[in-house]
Amino acid sequence: MSAAQDLGAEDRAPELVPLNAIFATDFVQILVPVTTANTMAEVAAAVAHHVEGKRVRALPYDKVVIYQGERLPAEMTVAAAGIKPLDHVTVEYDIPERS
Amino acid sequence: MALLKREEWQGFVRDVDWSYSYVDDEAVFPEWHSGTGKVPREAWQSWEESYKVSYPEYVATQREKESAAYAVKAALQRSSAFDSLSEGWKSATKMHFGGVALVEYAAVLAELKMARFGLNGSWRNMATFGALDELRHAAITTFFGHEFVGKDAQYDWTQKAFHTNDWVAISLRNLFDAMMTSSNVVDIAIELPLTFETGFTNLQFVALAADALASGDVNFANMISSIQTDEARHSQQGGPTLEILVEHDPVRAQWVVDKAFWGSARAFAALTGPAMDYYTPLEHRKQSYREFMEEWIIDQFVHTLEQYGLKKPWYWDEYMRGLDIWHHGLHMGLWFWRPTLWWKPMAAVSPDERAWLVEKYPNWEKVYGDKWDVIIDNVNANHMEATLPETLPWLCSTCHLPACNATQSRDGTWRVRDIPLSYDGRTYHFCTKACRQIFWKDRDNVNHETLIDRFLAGQIQPMDVGGILGYMGLTPDVMGDDPDYEAWTKDYAGRSADGIATAAQA
Repeated sequence: MSAAQDLGAEDRAPELVPLNAIFATDFVQILVPVTTANTMAEVAAAVAHHVEGKRVRALPYDKVVIYQGERLPAEMTVAAAGIKPLDHVTVEYDIPERS
Repeated sequence: MALLKREEWQGFVRDVDWSYSYVDDEAVFPEWHSGTGKVPREAWQSWEESYKVSYPEYVATQREKESAAYAVKAALQRSSAFDSLSEGWKSATKMHFGGVALVEYAAVLAELKMARFGLNGSWRNMATFGALDELRHAAITTFFGHEFVGKDAQYDWTQKAFHTNDWVAISLRNLFDAMMTSSNVVDIAIELPLTFETGFTNLQFVALAADALASGDVNFANMISSIQTDEARHSQQGGPTLEILVEHDPVRAQWVVDKAFWGSARAFAALTGPAMDYYTPLEHRKQSYREFMEEWIIDQFVHTLEQYGLKKPWYWDEYMRGLDIWHHGLHMGLWFWRPTLWWKPMAAVSPDERAWLVEKYPNWEKVYGDKWDVIIDNVNANHMEATLPETLPWLCSTCHLPACNATQSRDGTWRVRDIPLSYDGRTYHFCTKACRQIFWKDRDNVNHETLIDRFLAGQIQPMDVGGILGYMGLTPDVMGDDPDYEAWTKDYAGRSADGIATAAQA
């Protein structure tokens, strides 16, 4: 048997994952739909799309997805990160620490 | 034949009870409607209102009030007073008409439930007058709002708002269905007349009438004053009910008061907060929303709690901190999602208005100024699409309002934080810890889906902004928009504007 449900999430067709998201210093949580195939870089861009330059001034830094207190690598997918529908993510600018 | 003296007949007519011979008490006053709970049935015999009224007295007084209110309205109808009202004040009235007219009707149902299932004859008698009061309030509010439909289609939402799935209407239905239509009468008496009416609306109506006069809206002041004069009588159903409940079940009394105060406070922050601190023209603002709440609502609420031997609610610190935050976040949310409103929200963040906000709320610039600056820069760059929404704000699973309450970290920064709850196989998100706590305690009774829940369940089609607006009943002639962008952006024109959407996307 090789039914779709036996496959790991990362091997299945992309599935919709609606997220509760906050972008940096924005004033509100928002609904942002992504898919299991999206990378964290894509998730960060999807969240930023609704806020960056619209309510939060854009900064010249990379963005990082924080999920359950952990910074996730930019190439990691939603499926690999184990992010589920209705989960929360925060997207922050990755501002270098001052030396 | 000599007439009986008042004291000889009043006790009899206002407090009629009798013993049943064909059915038992539970059949007449079933627990799910009457809700006596741990209170012994006979304890309700001591229920007594302090101000008593007879039916002829009631009718005579109400007739006078009605004649006066409609006479003023008829006289003003021939004037051009409406045309000179500011858009900000008009928006406050549109919000009031749509948000209140059918809540008054829900209150008719609540009063009728108490008139039937109240556990004492005098309570049922008073609730009968209450039902007549609320019927008058529903009628007068709908009628006064209806007059302006011909001048401005948004006034049509006086009657329409509660029949739509607009997110503001869903939030209010959620609050008032729980408070008025699905509760038992003991809880209703404490939630509606005591907490919501005595605690919030009676005083707000006094302030609203004063604001109406300051804004030149004699007609609205006339309506609101006429309504307000009824409240003192029927709102006294709360006191005697709470007194008896506290004596026999103080834990339940505390919970019912706490929950009703919180729900009312959230709705007030969404509607009264923006109206007082943003929509009211600067020169007409007498006090800030926070000052109003502290002086008129909070002091009295704390006094009431002490009077009945109750404690401050468990969420008190969170609530008091929210007085500087909730309504500012909600104002920004209402403004950014303005196509979803049946009024025209004014941003009202010109330099003078911001100076006033900072004077009243010292952290305002730190928490909200940067976001408004980006919005202002986009307006001045004529980049309007960047100021309009392309997704939904996350709506709290308890109050159904956007989750937009920033809190301060130990390092001084302000952030909106996720307040989640995993329950029954799914994750819920809340705007505050108290909303999460109320959901958890009430979880078996929660049956309202937020707009987010409906959207994700596929109930809203097509799944885009157009589909959402259509689902909410908004049509292009009604959709809210800022009535005067220039008023609050012109002083910032020409300044350097890095990091706005145009630059970020380039």
